[in-house]
Amino acid sequence: MSHSFAQVWRKEVLLAYALLLPSAVFLAVFTYWPILRSFWFSLHDVMLGDSRIFWLGAENYLRLLDDGLFWKVLGNTAFYTLTTIPLSITVALLLAVALDSKLRGMSIYRSAFFYPVMIPSVAAGMVWVFLYAPGYGPINSALEFLGLPRLDWLYDSAWALPAIVLMSIWKYSGYFMLILLAALKLVPSDLYEAARLDGVGPVSRLLHITVPLISPTLYFVIVIGLLHSYQIFDYVYVMTQGGPADSTNVLTFYIYQNGFQYQDIGYASTIANTLLVFVLGLIGLVALTLGRRVHYMGER
Amino acid sequence: MSSSKFTLSRRKFLAATAAIPAIGLAPGLIRSARASGPVKLQFMYPVGVSGDINRIVSGMVADFNAQHPGIEVEAIYAGSYDNTEQKVITSLGINEPPSLWLPINSALQTFLGLDALEDITDLAKADDIYDDFLPGFLNTCISDDRLYGLPFQPSTPVLYYNKDAFKAAGINKAPDTWDELFEVAKAVTLRENGELKRWGLTIGGGWHDWMFECYCRQNELVPWQKDKVLFDRPEAVEALTFWKQMVDGGVMPPASTWQGSANDFLAGHTAMLYHSTGSLTNLRTSASFEVGVAFMPKNKTYGAAQGGGPLMIAKNQSDEKKEASWTFARWMTNTENQAKWSRATGYLAVRKSAWAAPEMQSYLAEVPAAKVALDQSQYAGAFLQVPGYHRVREHLKSALDRTLAGEIEAAAALTEANNNSNREIQRVMRRQQS
Repeated sequence: MSHSFAQVWRKEVLLAYALLLPSAVFLAVFTYWPILRSFWFSLHDVMLGDSRIFWLGAENYLRLLDDGLFWKVLGNTAFYTLTTIPLSITVALLLAVALDSKLRGMSIYRSAFFYPVMIPSVAAGMVWVFLYAPGYGPINSALEFLGLPRLDWLYDSAWALPAIVLMSIWKYSGYFMLILLAALKLVPSDLYEAARLDGVGPVSRLLHITVPLISPTLYFVIVIGLLHSYQIFDYVYVMTQGGPADSTNVLTFYIYQNGFQYQDIGYASTIANTLLVFVLGLIGLVALTLGRRVHYMGER
Repeated sequence: MSSSKFTLSRRKFLAATAAIPAIGLAPGLIRSARASGPVKLQFMYPVGVSGDINRIVSGMVADFNAQHPGIEVEAIYAGSYDNTEQKVITSLGINEPPSLWLPINSALQTFLGLDALEDITDLAKADDIYDDFLPGFLNTCISDDRLYGLPFQPSTPVLYYNKDAFKAAGINKAPDTWDELFEVAKAVTLRENGELKRWGLTIGGGWHDWMFECYCRQNELVPWQKDKVLFDRPEAVEALTFWKQMVDGGVMPPASTWQGSANDFLAGHTAMLYHSTGSLTNLRTSASFEVGVAFMPKNKTYGAAQGGGPLMIAKNQSDEKKEASWTFARWMTNTENQAKWSRATGYLAVRKSAWAAPEMQSYLAEVPAAKVALDQSQYAGAFLQVPGYHRVREHLKSALDRTLAGEIEAAAALTEANNNSNREIQRVMRRQQS
């Protein structure tokens, strides 16, 4: 009996490995191998279009310290992350709370707010280039109508990055809203009723009931948002190409520039590895701080 | 029923298995069949100016294919110059370059560094290339006395101006010096209640590093040598300081884009524009006002940097393809086609015989503006032909942008760009020497 149990067990383990194999192969070939290879490249002088590579040791990493643009790019990326994530999640939460009711026609509003998520990012970028156009753009016309000064938006090194942040909030809020909306459905309504009977106002209800109870989802949305914001490339490529005066150059775009415009694959790999360490560190930080405060409705 | 289905599919499966070895042989069969068909060439090209260039190039390639049954050229539009060069370099990386491509002439050293270019000196000498091509254009494709490309669409920037706007401001001729440029720009800038309606001058963004070299040359400085750049020289600092003064004076925007600036000019949002002569035909025919074309104003002298691109032929391909590539490059640059191409775009025809052709002569009589860039090209030299060109021009553009945005002083920005650029040139040369 025990013999046959061991046999069955072994069979199951083999089956499990066999089922895992395809995805393991994919991960190995398309994720782990490139990471290892890019680390190897970062220690070399590697030029796109040329098969020869030369050992450099730490030279590429030392270059990084001396590269003013790299630090500016890092700052831009941090600015983008630290503005886009809190703002788009706040907007998403408010939208989700507002739309979490059983009134007629709510699904139309939900679709409307989710709609930007479905627009391909390149098309969205092109549309916003038009919206932001200094001369004839609708946004400037609206500002003028309200008696506010017109802005040069994407042509102004002070406003270009905030302009992209604004557009990202428009693009991502709907996505976060949808996830948060699903979480809101799981909050027991008797809690709200009890609070209402005790005379608790809507703001307190939001902060002290809704937010703690959907905190696992909020945490998930923050991590996803973090990953999104470090991968921002398409808008920069389509809308500004990193300009004006490098004010919208972000890490992924800088990696692309170094690797494909300047053929400097070694240096591009160095920046990519730095980015990897950075994102891992940041997510670790978020897990250790925010992650600790997540409330799992008695499932802990 | 179901069992008969099963046997059928099993039979199919067996048949398919049996066919695999035969399919494995098929590439060989296909290849030998192809040998008797036309030679297929891929040709990657950019659109570097304003206008419907894509349609014109596709039309020329279609004509070539119709006239040459033994050759089939596939025209691949690859975006901007930078995009095109990237695509070619990436395909060189996997040893499958296109047969021909059309980069900016400044990329010559980059492609030579990759050992990618076919040396066409002997073919050209046996032909009439050295006699009939204008030497200034041919020089942009020569390195160490060897020829690596046939100039196809040379250009210089020119000064376009809105004659109606000039007339309204009481000005009847184009500015001839930097000082006049500034004065005229002030006069034609239009503000209503403090709100800007029209800039006096826009320097086409995206290629403003090219315009900047023109300004350096107007100051009697060629801002680069074979192995270094000279961006930190006083002549260059003076040029950038002059740009900054125009921005501070409220007559010129601190930043613009390449296609956007041409559209702004057409829409009347800027009265003067520095742009490539390759945009001439489009600007002239699309504008609702009369377009003037003039030399770029001088400071110490007139000066311009040669832009535009040559046709380059890949070294790493079969002799049969090289031969066909030469036929194609030769055809694209023959007298008749160059005269036609120049009229359709505003790019400069590369051959003396094309300029002398009767249809070109009558065109010039009708549109004298088409000759401005040719006359100016006697003051022109190649643009920034240094190793590591792509990063060097990014360093320069960054210095220009940040200065005009008011983030840094001209001298400090140019010194930084100079040092960064020279470090990059050293890095690339170290590689090539080892």
